[in-house]
Amino acid sequence: MQLAQFFRRHPMEIILVAMYLYLMAAAPGFATLDNQFNVLRNVTMQGIIAFGMTMIIISGEIDLSIGSGVAFAGCVTAWFTRELTPFTGAYTAIAIGAVAAMVIMFCVGVFTGKLRQHFNMPTFITTLGLLTVLSGAANLITGGFPITSFPYQFNFLGSGFLFGIPFPVYIFVAVFGFVYFLMNYTSFGRSIYAVGGNLEAARLSGIDVWRTKTLAFGITGVFTAIAGILIASQILSGSASAARGWELDVISAVIIGGTSLFGGKGSIRGTLIGVLFLGVIVNGMTLLNVSEYWQYVVRGMLIISAVLLNHALEKSAKT
Amino acid sequence: MTAVVETKDLSKTYGNVVALDAFTHTFEQSRIHALMGKNGSGKSTLVKMLSGVVQPTTGSMSLNGQNAVFKSPRDAFEANVVTVHQELSLVPELSVAENIFLGRLPKRTIFGIDRIDWKSAFRKTGDLLDRMGLDIDPATQIKTLSVGQQQTIEIAKAMSFDPALLLLDEPTSALASKEVEMLFTLLRTLKERGVTMMYISHRLSELAEIADTVTVLRDGHHIASVEMAQSSSQEIVGMMFGDVARAIRPARTARTGSGDPILQVRNLTREHAFDDISFDLHPGEVLGIAGMLGAGRTELLRGIFGADPVDSGEIIVDGQKVEAPSPRTTTGLGLGYTPENRKEVGLVQDHSIHNNLSMASLRKNAPGGFITKSAERPGVEKQIEQLHIKVDGSDDPVSSLSGGNQQKVVIGNWLNTDPKIMFFDEPSRGVDVHAKQQIFQIIWEQADKGLSSIFVSTELEELLDVCDRILIMKDGRLEGELDPAKTDLTQLYAACMEGL
Repeated sequence: MQLAQFFRRHPMEIILVAMYLYLMAAAPGFATLDNQFNVLRNVTMQGIIAFGMTMIIISGEIDLSIGSGVAFAGCVTAWFTRELTPFTGAYTAIAIGAVAAMVIMFCVGVFTGKLRQHFNMPTFITTLGLLTVLSGAANLITGGFPITSFPYQFNFLGSGFLFGIPFPVYIFVAVFGFVYFLMNYTSFGRSIYAVGGNLEAARLSGIDVWRTKTLAFGITGVFTAIAGILIASQILSGSASAARGWELDVISAVIIGGTSLFGGKGSIRGTLIGVLFLGVIVNGMTLLNVSEYWQYVVRGMLIISAVLLNHALEKSAKT
Repeated sequence: MTAVVETKDLSKTYGNVVALDAFTHTFEQSRIHALMGKNGSGKSTLVKMLSGVVQPTTGSMSLNGQNAVFKSPRDAFEANVVTVHQELSLVPELSVAENIFLGRLPKRTIFGIDRIDWKSAFRKTGDLLDRMGLDIDPATQIKTLSVGQQQTIEIAKAMSFDPALLLLDEPTSALASKEVEMLFTLLRTLKERGVTMMYISHRLSELAEIADTVTVLRDGHHIASVEMAQSSSQEIVGMMFGDVARAIRPARTARTGSGDPILQVRNLTREHAFDDISFDLHPGEVLGIAGMLGAGRTELLRGIFGADPVDSGEIIVDGQKVEAPSPRTTTGLGLGYTPENRKEVGLVQDHSIHNNLSMASLRKNAPGGFITKSAERPGVEKQIEQLHIKVDGSDDPVSSLSGGNQQKVVIGNWLNTDPKIMFFDEPSRGVDVHAKQQIFQIIWEQADKGLSSIFVSTELEELLDVCDRILIMKDGRLEGELDPAKTDLTQLYAACMEGL
């Protein structure tokens, strides 16, 4: 009886553990430490953005622009590095580039929020437009070829190890902790839920609904920039074609984690599970020699099944 | 075509509730029959049975001597009974002709293919509008017409079915006085052509002008049917309310006039909503605002609270003028507002009782923006206890509660902000009698603690029971003030309809 209740409350966790156990037995090389780090490293970049996306989706909005945003932020960092290195040295140049990328992406997020507030512009449309704009801007910066301005030491951020653990994992954990705290222990987090659950009720309760939504976009912009910098570090260049199509992976992770696209419902913890889920299944299928094309099919079906399962469980909880 | 409508022992019960009790009457043909009664009197039930929306529990109806059994609106339709509802049912993007013949545009066949015969559609519509004396081009888009013109199109659409009996449910509630005149001219034309009409309205003065007879219902009972010309509005209102036993007010001293006003409203105006409104609210006072539907009561509350922008005028809280009011600024000044449609805008239905009870007090409970559930818990528990909210646990979704308990959560959400001024907009709507009494009790208790409140309700009895002072609002303007201790229901009702 208690087990049924536990399953009802944590369906994705249980499925994740079951899948994990199965892969440990069936997939050669899955259980090695190296591979575990591989999985973690692969999910960190998208995961960082997924935590921001969770805030946006719970607040009742959506951001489709992050794929281009990641590439754009990497290119901005690389461009600053190339232009400033002769004057400031490489490390300062990278730092300036990284900060610039984060500031610009924050402003892009705020822009999306402001259009929503003042012109009632659906964020689906704004960010769909920005997806193209940012991709174009990234190409303008790079001139169509990757900017390879980084010193090889920069590779540490994306590919290095600290105390035996891949460095990006620390950032992933820090961002998770930060957003978890925001969502659960600040009035901002509580406002995000309220705004997404019922915009007018939140407004009448004196909540600054537009500041809340706009800030969610701004913060996600910064996370997107961080992911962009990490990717640039991994491939040691700023490339306009990096991270293409990520928006769908990120939104998938959020949805698998149980967040409702209608807003008001969801959790950061759920998104963490969703992110790990996608990472493990892709890694596992690769190790099991499942063809890449089948992997797409399976991942797509997964999203649909996860939402169906959540709906079914919610319904049965009500009766 | 015309019709005599007869009903015999017509009854409708919902469970134990008798909505209409053995209604026997003959509605003569080619006349306009007004149906009157307060909310829940059974007049809507009667109209719904005639239009086939609900079926009688017992009794029978007949049209022109033929037994009429309407199992669905379609049956009523086929017997040439047509209803014009309060809300418009036109498609704004389409033309007048398309709307009138929606779903049944004339067709003609060319080379074996059906196509719409636009020529005939426009000609038929033109003829129809001509006959009704309306000068509107059949090709006009509905959205370019005024609300009054749209209402006449709605009636033209009804006329295109060639009704013998036309049922009109508050057709003037959205109309300006000039448009009402236009509508009445139309109705008189229809009467001359033999159509029998039943007309529901709360506007006595209009009924005196247009109706031939008036049938009064109260609590499901047929009180009387009289000739309009031979009855005064006083008599009609008297029949509507009967001798009402007033609820017993708790022994509390009315605070009217004690101390400096906590809220002053000066010349507040919002176009098409309310006009030049000025009044004072005193500490500890329960001030009622009475008025008919569409008088602008809710709009006024929302304007003062900052939920909607106002065009001009001043709002002064505690001697301080409020600049650019918004819910955020006014809640900071100690105002609170429980909206009339709590399901839609008062609560976040999916969220827990805990979160709904601490939504408005978020700023208060989060110094520096940081918050914990345990910091909110005392407030949540206090409201659950003091307002007697029946809950299993405060983490349950608020949607699991009954209407009355949900309303208490809305109120509790605001009481948690320690407000100085509360606006209660229809707080008793959709709650049972017991919960209603509890909610009034809460308002009184808070008033004794010094909270000032404004109370808006469509139920006039409630205003008389609950308030220290009642302002009368009509067509967006303040008509004056009544002392509930010296006013009876008939007087209040007359004041709302006809002004002071």
